[in-house]
Amino acid sequence: MAGKSGRTINATPENVWKKQIFSWEGILVIIFIAVIILCKILSPNYTFTNVLREMPKYLSEIFLLFPMAYILLLGEIDISVGSIVCLSATAGCLVSNAGVPFGGVVIVILLTGTICGAINGAILVKFPELPSMIVTLGTQIVFRGIAEIVLGSGGSVSLSNTDGFRMIAKKAGPFPYVFFLVIISAVIFTVISVKMKFGRSLYAIGSNRQTAFYSGIRVKKVIFTAYTVMGLFAGIAALFLTSALYGANTTTGKGFEMDAIAMAVFGGIATTGGKGRLVGGVISAFIIICLRIGLGQINMNSQLILVIIGILLICAVLLPNITGNMKLKKKAN
Amino acid sequence: MSEYVLELKGITKIFPGVKALNQVRFQLRPGEVHALMGENGAGKSTFIKVITGVHRAEEGEMFLNGKKVEFKGPRDAQAAGIAAVYQHPTSYPDLTVTENIFMNHEMKKHGMIQWKEMNKEAQKYLDELDADFKSTAEMGTLSVAQQQMVEIAKAVSTHARIVILDEPTAALTANESEKLYHIVDKLKEDGVSIIFISHRFEDMYRLASRVTVFRDSQYIGTYDVDKITNAELIKQMVGREISDLYPKPEVKFGGEMLRIENFSRTGYFKDVSLNVRAGEIVGLTGLVGAGRTEVMEAVCGITGFNQGKVYLEGKEVHIKNPTDAGNYGIILLPEDRQKTGLILSWGLGRNVTLPILDKFTHKGFINEKEERNLAKDLLESVDTKAVTVFDPASSLSGGNQQKVVVAKALAQDNMKVVIMDEPTKGVDVGAKAEIYQIMGELAQKGYAIIMISSEMPEIIGMCDRVYVMCGGKVTGELERSVLSQELILEHAMEKSTKKEGA
Amino acid sequence: MEKKSIWKRMKDSREASLVIVLILLCAAVSIKNPAFLSLNNIEEILKNNAVTMILALGMLCVLLIGGIDISIASTLAFTGMSVGLLFKYGYMSSTLLGFVLAMAIGALCGLIIGLVIGKGKVTPIIATMGFMYIYRGMAYVVGNSQWAGADALGDFKNFALESYLGFGLINNVIMITIICYVIFFIVMKWTKFGRNIYAVGSNPEAAEISGIHVARVKIAVYTIMGLLSGLCGALATTVYASAQPDMQTGKEMDVIAACVIGGVSMSGGKGSVAGALLGALMLAVIAKALPLVGIDSLAQNTVKGVLIVAVIILNVITKRAMDKSNLERREM
Repeated sequence: MAGKSGRTINATPENVWKKQIFSWEGILVIIFIAVIILCKILSPNYTFTNVLREMPKYLSEIFLLFPMAYILLLGEIDISVGSIVCLSATAGCLVSNAGVPFGGVVIVILLTGTICGAINGAILVKFPELPSMIVTLGTQIVFRGIAEIVLGSGGSVSLSNTDGFRMIAKKAGPFPYVFFLVIISAVIFTVISVKMKFGRSLYAIGSNRQTAFYSGIRVKKVIFTAYTVMGLFAGIAALFLTSALYGANTTTGKGFEMDAIAMAVFGGIATTGGKGRLVGGVISAFIIICLRIGLGQINMNSQLILVIIGILLICAVLLPNITGNMKLKKKAN
Repeated sequence: MSEYVLELKGITKIFPGVKALNQVRFQLRPGEVHALMGENGAGKSTFIKVITGVHRAEEGEMFLNGKKVEFKGPRDAQAAGIAAVYQHPTSYPDLTVTENIFMNHEMKKHGMIQWKEMNKEAQKYLDELDADFKSTAEMGTLSVAQQQMVEIAKAVSTHARIVILDEPTAALTANESEKLYHIVDKLKEDGVSIIFISHRFEDMYRLASRVTVFRDSQYIGTYDVDKITNAELIKQMVGREISDLYPKPEVKFGGEMLRIENFSRTGYFKDVSLNVRAGEIVGLTGLVGAGRTEVMEAVCGITGFNQGKVYLEGKEVHIKNPTDAGNYGIILLPEDRQKTGLILSWGLGRNVTLPILDKFTHKGFINEKEERNLAKDLLESVDTKAVTVFDPASSLSGGNQQKVVVAKALAQDNMKVVIMDEPTKGVDVGAKAEIYQIMGELAQKGYAIIMISSEMPEIIGMCDRVYVMCGGKVTGELERSVLSQELILEHAMEKSTKKEGA
Repeated sequence: MEKKSIWKRMKDSREASLVIVLILLCAAVSIKNPAFLSLNNIEEILKNNAVTMILALGMLCVLLIGGIDISIASTLAFTGMSVGLLFKYGYMSSTLLGFVLAMAIGALCGLIIGLVIGKGKVTPIIATMGFMYIYRGMAYVVGNSQWAGADALGDFKNFALESYLGFGLINNVIMITIICYVIFFIVMKWTKFGRNIYAVGSNPEAAEISGIHVARVKIAVYTIMGLLSGLCGALATTVYASAQPDMQTGKEMDVIAACVIGGVSMSGGKGSVAGALLGALMLAVIAKALPLVGIDSLAQNTVKGVLIVAVIILNVITKRAMDKSNLERREM
């Protein structure tokens, strides 16, 4: 059905493999390879099995990355997740020590996280005037505060019965169970973000909330769902963290929110919303983990590793702005 | 001393993808009030921003008192004695009136701001302008007219020799406009040269001695106000006889589609009742701030309302959010395409399909090929000037963006009622005619259409029936046969004239 | 000019209501425990919260321009460690030099952040998050897993115990806090720079059109934030008589909380020096008061968090009520 002027509009996508390589995700893959080569040169122990063996202690943080990416795509932020992890883990340890069977413990952990996330979501939906940064700053303090209260003056709890947790920390061949769960989650979250209505809604809201609302997207529902899922995955992260630590304390999960945000941003997901892809976030997460493991193997100070990650992050966000400026200048000339 | 205080020659300004100004010239005599006229999107506001140094022109020269100048930024223009009062007040809502007036040229002693003196001085300027508020008031609490006054006081306080007023009367009542005329007269007496942008002919006749017309980013001509007729001027502005602009088809009306009764929202509108039949184009007009948009946004569930009922095809419906409205087939094309109509960073195709994702979602997955083809068909049906469905919406001109918004509405094939809010705002003349064409076709297909508009000609040209609003109430319902500019204005100003009489 | 009635002013001003709440709070606590308002106790509270109070000033500026800075605790630790180690290894013994150096290092740290945000156009939360990692890491790296204890600090630690800056009456640390507040009060109210900060936050585009260098203001504000973080690095070192790489972790959240409670808007343009002070004092008093009125000090953080959430929600509710009454008054 061509228009009156007979003008037609092209609807076939170009062959985009070139674009893919020069996209940020393409660059990330190259960085990933470079990091692995670098670590291989630096450390003779940097083998596939060794890396996999050390991976579980970092993997629980990745669970936070996926929903955090959704929240960033919405143009929002959640800095309370570290505290949710702490509270969920604490709750799980306490009920476990009280003799609740492992199945019940898992439910308590996941439910605690989900409820915390839902509280964040409910406040933000009920009071859309409030910036999510400050709301989650408040709940960050509250959630950890509650954990502090229930943990009492000792400030920590150890599992008396670790059977269940040991079970989920097991491996299938060289791969820990949690690794598979991470991959499955990554696939599900990515597919939802690119192939489903919910994903499209995320991008629409993050790009222009008003237009999305006017176009009939249920903005509040999407925001509430994203925060609740964030809570649920904080619970999952807490579960696996507990299975590695066999306990919880008042500093459990501290800074996790920043790590998750950093992974997402390094992966090209803008905090201003609507921009970036989950694939990028996943690749960048593995870059950071592999780098940490590699530098850890050569006994580099773990704090120096933080400095390197910080510098990488700043460069990653500065780069597109600087090249963007140069392009604009070129255009002007 | 040269003949002109300000002269611009061969100014060209290019924005990504658009030539906003094309070889434009302009001459301002000392002490004159010079009107600058042209349609929306003709390039007037961009031109002003070139003069004030906000934008830098790619080509062209500017002379101030015969001397060539080059402004690197707004600071240079200020220093040269040029002050502008912009269309949208560029104020600081959180700061006081005094601060707004003295922003960046504060009164200081030993580096300390002298609040007392500044408040006093600001009050002096306000008193001169007959302002009814104090200089210590917070800017955000003032009305638009009051804020405008502050902007003028700001221009006066810089002792500018050239003052630019960009549509200062757009948001003012007749009474307030009269006040503004006095202020302009006073400035003129002091020897200030004034550039005056306005859509209102009465402003031009009352104030200006000469008028320059821009059309489609180009300079058309400069005329003495007392030597040019109204019709002639319109012809220069629009570029053709106005009559062929409105292809209004004869349509036989069907049954009533939408009716709202006693619609009220505290502070915005009260007791609004109106209806529209299938195939009918109903206009909703009035001055800016009369509550037209607010009524329709409440109908579509974007904002709430306190009381009233909505009937669709005779049955009462309860619409709580835009999703409900869409499901009922009531589609709003919002006024602000950039903020509420489109996602500018997205491709055209995805913009069009945003409200109808379910249509090509199978088992939860979006079929992108189906989506693209559907978008392509819709975009072609409204004759959008674009190369691919992947072109970002930001790359299109205002008129073509509006077509995309129309395509987005057409995508919803349960559509029954179309509400178009200022559909031709910022749209160039050619695209305007096409949009009217589409509107006519929609009416022929039996859709009920409500058009909100401030532009008299299109209201008179396109509508079968017109509701006029003023101060949140419907003040008149006019049939096509009796429509005239005077009659509409009379109803639109009902309240303000009454007030003046009292 | 007509004078507003005092009552009306009080009602309009958030600061006034904060003062009232603060007074009521202090009164209630001192009834329960008269020792609360003793001079010693007040001195103790002020001294222990000097860092939060001073940082709140910088954060006020940062929030006013619509930004945020979560790297301040890291900057603080980095400067504190740098200075502490210089004392420890005997490169330096002058207290004054210690402060100057800390402020210089802090200002440099802030300047870099300011450049990244102002010139590089990176969103503040991300930029400062990156530098939060970097500066905290550097605090560890300069220390090379060492820290500076009381013995190592020599004379420097005595600064917090003496009161020569306060003419023998007021503790040095408190005196510095007072000086900072006086300077900021003047700068924010009576200088062009201070007003430009408000202008940039209130309407950045208009500020650019008015001829204000928005990028420069941003850089200056983050540099000031860094300078104050440096100052607090030195102060924290002397108050707690030690410099550790993990010192004051999470302080940034306290400081932001103080500002928010004090009525500083997160979206820029709104907030005052008095508000920042009152917000910081409110947090300090609550922290001190909880154990005195029998609430376990473990609950301190929960109370703080609930307070933040309650305050911001209350703000929204009052704003909505005000808007509604304005609309009702509008003539139809």
